[in-house]
Amino acid sequence: MTKLKLSGVSKAYGATMALRRGDLEIEAGEVHVLIGANGSGKSTLCKIVAGSVRPDHGEVLIDDTPVTVSGPRAAQALGIGIFYQELSLAEHRSVAENILMPDLPREGGVFIDRQALVEKAARVIALFSKVAGAELTAETPIGRLRADQRQLVEIMKALASEAPVLIFDEPTSALDRAQVDRFFEILRDLKSEGRSIVFISHRMDEIFAIGDRVTVIRDGETVGTAKIADTSPEKVIRMMVGEQEGLAAPQSAPPATAAAAGSVALVVAGFSGQGFSDVSFDVARGEILGFGGLHGQGQSAVLRALFGAPPALSGSVALGGAALRTTSPRGAIASGLAYVSGDRGRDGVISGRPILENVTPIHALRNRLWLARPGQLAQKALPALKALNTKFAGLSHSIGSLSGGNQQKVVIARWLIDRPDVLLLDDPTKGIDLSAKADLFALIRKLAEDGLAIILYSSEDAELLNNADRILVFNGGSVSRELGGADRTRYNLYHAAYEAA
Amino acid sequence: MSRVIDVIKNPLAVALALIVALLLLGNALSPGFASGQQILRLLIVAALLGIVAAGQNLVILGGREGIDLSVGGVVSLSAIVAGNAMNGMDGGIPLAILACIATGALFGLLNGLGVTLLRIPPLVMTLGMLGVLQGLLVVVRQGIPSGRAAPALSEFVTRPFLFGLPGILWLWVAIGLLMAFILSRTVFGHRIYAIGSNEQAAFMAGVPVRRMRVLLFMLSGVFSAIAGLCLLGYSGSSFANVGEQYMLPSIIAVVLGGTPLAGGKGGYTGTMAGAVLLVILQSILTTINIEESGRQMVFGATLLVLMLFYGRGRGLRA
Repeated sequence: MTKLKLSGVSKAYGATMALRRGDLEIEAGEVHVLIGANGSGKSTLCKIVAGSVRPDHGEVLIDDTPVTVSGPRAAQALGIGIFYQELSLAEHRSVAENILMPDLPREGGVFIDRQALVEKAARVIALFSKVAGAELTAETPIGRLRADQRQLVEIMKALASEAPVLIFDEPTSALDRAQVDRFFEILRDLKSEGRSIVFISHRMDEIFAIGDRVTVIRDGETVGTAKIADTSPEKVIRMMVGEQEGLAAPQSAPPATAAAAGSVALVVAGFSGQGFSDVSFDVARGEILGFGGLHGQGQSAVLRALFGAPPALSGSVALGGAALRTTSPRGAIASGLAYVSGDRGRDGVISGRPILENVTPIHALRNRLWLARPGQLAQKALPALKALNTKFAGLSHSIGSLSGGNQQKVVIARWLIDRPDVLLLDDPTKGIDLSAKADLFALIRKLAEDGLAIILYSSEDAELLNNADRILVFNGGSVSRELGGADRTRYNLYHAAYEAA
Repeated sequence: MSRVIDVIKNPLAVALALIVALLLLGNALSPGFASGQQILRLLIVAALLGIVAAGQNLVILGGREGIDLSVGGVVSLSAIVAGNAMNGMDGGIPLAILACIATGALFGLLNGLGVTLLRIPPLVMTLGMLGVLQGLLVVVRQGIPSGRAAPALSEFVTRPFLFGLPGILWLWVAIGLLMAFILSRTVFGHRIYAIGSNEQAAFMAGVPVRRMRVLLFMLSGVFSAIAGLCLLGYSGSSFANVGEQYMLPSIIAVVLGGTPLAGGKGGYTGTMAGAVLLVILQSILTTINIEESGRQMVFGATLLVLMLFYGRGRGLRA
């Protein structure tokens, strides 16, 4: 019997179709796995079920009755409980209060019934008593818990809702083996009670351990559903890859000769820090080294650590044969490193200031300038802006007057006035338009030809496959595989990314 | 229509218009209020406030709740330091200048280190420093005579020097030009705006954010010290807490001049106009016999009203 059904739902954010045609059918008493690559639309699909996003088209049915999930509260009333990937816990409140936050037991409709609160919470906490650690009690404030314990509390919160449909969006990323095993036992119990569970995970071993059926979503469309018993990890990855096999754009692939001719620019060995461990690689002049894999597997953390923001905890870096210790971006810039963040609002744009001031800070720093002569600076800034086809009315206009893509171009241009030796690109095309992306990659290739060593992390697999000479696939904070030459296929990329960490 | 709105939104234009209006009002209330002599006297008082506000302006521009509540304490202390260093003799002036600047820089340095290294919010750090300075003033005054201004210093502040204007006004003009130059034509100035508008982006672009912030507090201390020196010349001898009156007005002048408390935009030209405006307002309140307590209330309320218009800049990202 079908418990929850989504039929032909779609959602567009402006011009971007986040979800074209989402179909999903969940039976009562099954664990249904939802899988798809970065940006395939599975998060949007979940948000629609959770009520935090309203679909443009399509239907949501619960027990074969069309429903409108108008918001998180409505979802709760309809019997849908959700585990959020972004932890949504109140730092200074107790475990018990967080677990029962969606529905606090009350006395007389106003006051919180402390006793009932602790008792109800204790029942859920007891489920994980053997694996959660002694300090996780109903009274413990969230702030005192470790990351894995917080994730358990988030799971408990979903379980405490006792909803017939439970959605878990990557619930195991911080858990250890024993915790995952216990969680799966609980899921099997829930299943036998007839509850429906939607499980999103990127770990093939987990998917095959707990799932009954799997639905694959690709480029905003549901590709198909299969029984776990009838399929294999390879088949699932094939479904995710679809027909886009091979090097997506061989005609634009960088010339291999340039990479071969270049001398080694940057050597990183045993690099460890917050979010990554024991990462080693090298990049040659003229080479574009890709960082791939799922979001947040340490790619961005490695790039930021190279740039000293914050520095790595251990490991060695050599630039052009000489040892390099970066403790701050300032030091990294002086050594010839450049870093472009995808989060331009946070790391790049000096809001409310003229374009000129946004293009020139690196030039001023590297040349130890004291005076800022507008005419002289403009002469330096204009060619860099032009190299990226930046569209702007005047250098004295506020950067806020530009479109997102052009703002990012301005931020990138600041690194081009004085050429760096190594260019670190941390998902640089996030949230910019297609033509800006094209301009950007044309420039990146040209910079590589000119002899820059470039490291490119992109959350868009096509960008990596089209531009990188080699791709390091990150999984759980370390490099799980290196793809070079003819191995640079979408299939191999996914296979390495979705392997058990 | 949109032209009119642009003018209303331009704090400098508003301040200038209010200055003219208040002068006319003052003259109506008390004929002779807007006479040349009187305006000159107002400008001298405004220059003292304006010099303090220059430092305040820099600290506020640097963002991250930057504010310097210790300016009054530094003004008072440096007036005493200067008074003792020169003790009524022109020959002591160079020493007095050096001692003042050192005093201001020292307390600014302490403020800056507290804010950056110890991560104490500027409001708390500088308020605490004000307490320390006030205590110090009490101690100092028990053991040391307050000292007298050298004749040359008094002349510099009160007697016409060039084109009928006293030296202090020329000094203020010079500070105004210097500030405008620093803020728009030096890398240092660009960095002040950068850390004020997006500290993280500035950090990623290699701006030494902490060092900058310490330097801004030091400059604030130095400007307050210079004002303390001039104040000594204005009043002849330093007396208890001469500088106390500067804390709130220096902030109001900055905000009136179009620099939001959130920092990152604005400049000193507006602050100068703001200082003049405040001094005229104060003078009118005195003319119509409003007590000091009443003036304080008017100033406090002015700041709150200003906040409604200019202060809530944060959150409006470009």
